[in-house]
Amino acid sequence: MHHKLLDLILILPAAALIFSIFTDVLWMSYLQLAISVLVFLTVGVIAVSFNSIAFFLGGFFFVDYINLVILITVSTLELFVAFYSFGYVRSEIAGGVSKRKFKFYYFWKNLFIFSMMVSILSNNLGIYWTGLEATTLATALLVSFNRTKESFEATWKYVIMCSVGIAIGLFAIVILYFTTSQVYGESMRSLSFINIMQAGAKLDKNFLMLSFILALVGFGTKVGFAPMHNWLPDAHSQGPSPVSALLSGVLLNTALLGILRFYQINAAAGIHYPRYFLICFGFLTIFVSAFSIIKQTDYKRLFAFSSMENMGIIALGFGIGGIAVIGSLLQIFFHALNKGLLFLSSGNVLAATHERRIDKIRNLSKNFPITGIVLLFGAMGISGMPPFAMFLGEIYIMTGVFRTDIWLGFLVFILLIFVFIGLFGKVLKMYVGKANTGDEEEGGELKTDGAGASHKAVSEAGLHPFIVYVPLIMLLFSSFLLFYIPYPFLHIIKSAAVEFGGKVNFFK
Amino acid sequence: MEKIAELFIILILVSVVLNVSSPFIKFAIKLYSFQSLMLAFYILMGAVHFNSINLYGSFAITIIFKVILIPYFLFKTLKKVKMDKEINMYIGIPEAVVFAGSLTLLSNLIAQKIIKTGITFGSFVFTISLATFLIGAMLMITRKTLFSQILGFLTIDNAIFLAANSITHGMPLLVELGVLFDLFVSILILSLLILNLRRNVAS
Repeated sequence: MHHKLLDLILILPAAALIFSIFTDVLWMSYLQLAISVLVFLTVGVIAVSFNSIAFFLGGFFFVDYINLVILITVSTLELFVAFYSFGYVRSEIAGGVSKRKFKFYYFWKNLFIFSMMVSILSNNLGIYWTGLEATTLATALLVSFNRTKESFEATWKYVIMCSVGIAIGLFAIVILYFTTSQVYGESMRSLSFINIMQAGAKLDKNFLMLSFILALVGFGTKVGFAPMHNWLPDAHSQGPSPVSALLSGVLLNTALLGILRFYQINAAAGIHYPRYFLICFGFLTIFVSAFSIIKQTDYKRLFAFSSMENMGIIALGFGIGGIAVIGSLLQIFFHALNKGLLFLSSGNVLAATHERRIDKIRNLSKNFPITGIVLLFGAMGISGMPPFAMFLGEIYIMTGVFRTDIWLGFLVFILLIFVFIGLFGKVLKMYVGKANTGDEEEGGELKTDGAGASHKAVSEAGLHPFIVYVPLIMLLFSSFLLFYIPYPFLHIIKSAAVEFGGKVNFFK
Repeated sequence: MEKIAELFIILILVSVVLNVSSPFIKFAIKLYSFQSLMLAFYILMGAVHFNSINLYGSFAITIIFKVILIPYFLFKTLKKVKMDKEINMYIGIPEAVVFAGSLTLLSNLIAQKIIKTGITFGSFVFTISLATFLIGAMLMITRKTLFSQILGFLTIDNAIFLAANSITHGMPLLVELGVLFDLFVSILILSLLILNLRRNVAS
């Protein structure tokens, strides 16, 4: 394995972080492009040549098949977001936002990416925790980027709820540490994931069970599982669009990785009922979010609830096991791509119209031809409709669910139909609907809230080409992936599924 | 030696209950500082007893971050916000104190149950840490002011530190340093948010 390359995955984001302090914003946007492309290529080379677990930076970090899936997801979405940000920064600066603000934007975004990478790759659960909490802190000021009262309140809720949640996760790690220190003594080895896995059978089962439940509740808060989800729609809808895309697409998966690690440890110790917890939380999350989607009036919140719903489906898939695990792993990647394009393109509409309410936005087909199409098909894709890649993930998960329990499958299926009606119906109205309130101009001209919206920006024409076409490319990519998944990626997914006891012969 | 250590952890619980029973925020921050000092002394006791360098380091960083830096920044924010008393509470102080007492009893029951299944660490410390955890959560839920929520969160964090230092001889120092640093930064961000929210409400 290329050890030098592995180091690069952490060094490059760190370099981007340092550059973002000293470099001018416009230069930084070029640098960011270069670094994101490099990170993507590095991860690509690693993915193609990957064959077994590899350690780097003194054994504190490692790559295995499971975190490689999330690493690929992060680097792909980050590549698209970097291109989008390139246009976003330019059009916002042209619209009168100060350069200094975007310097902060790049700084916090790079800190966020760096701490996420540390979290994903760490072999040590303590370092994983530190990185995960650091992502909360790095994104906190990004969520309040617009400096409105709503965004500050959303940030408050986000920081408090996630910090308390992750504190419970810390409790889980403490208990695990107590358990493993009886095998390895009190050293860093007792927190090392690989070492814990090796000692699996020797560990105290009561404590492992306790630690899994605490980890599920704690990290589950950050994933957005149902009873603890209150912060998610607010935080994800308030941040700037590229940040929302990253939060929904990859940060949720980083928190999910923590739960999966505890799940693996339990499985290694021969404890198998944590899967029922995953099924319960997954189902509850789908249930709550499906009904929230139906009555939602704000389109960014709509997509935030959809993230929750997808996290529920992914958790359900991991709980079910078998081929559903393959579905869940595919879903992690496809969801990030699809949710990214939805947040990015809805960000265009928001930037141009300064309007968050669904019923105030009509006739996107006229003013936003490309963005509107992307939103429409993106909404179709995110609810698992065929010409887009998420269909593949969802069909595997649903097959697994139906094989395990037909009634559960039936219920989930009904809920997914609700989600489809909610999402697609609302976006369809935004796309073709006529204006429904009398005080708007005829012909469905977009209403703006006066002071905030500049005159030129009520249509797509005034936007930077990057921010219009990047979501479109993502949409085409997503559609392409349904028909052809590159073999190395498929191999990684299959091997990762084996680690969760998934069936692999399904692909052959 | 053990009696002294037990005195310190009892004082932690006492400080939390005092926090529940008082509406004054300045006093609550002082109590938090005191509570962290007791936690630090408890860690020091362990350090002397086991002669562990790890615990000495843990003692030092607890003093620096929790006893000095975090209360200092909270005081600074409080001065700017000019707030002295908690007015908005979902339940009154007498009820809250009774509730805190029942939570302590509940955690004692839970601790007894866990001890029965053959776990080795002291039930006393575990009871106190669980009670502190639950009362901290109660503080966050029952009080509306943002400061009280921060203090509730910090109390929860102290409870976890207490548990970490009683069931094991402290987490590895690197991890503990990372955790404390994260905690410190989150307090800075939350103070910043308080100032901003205050300004937005005022305007």
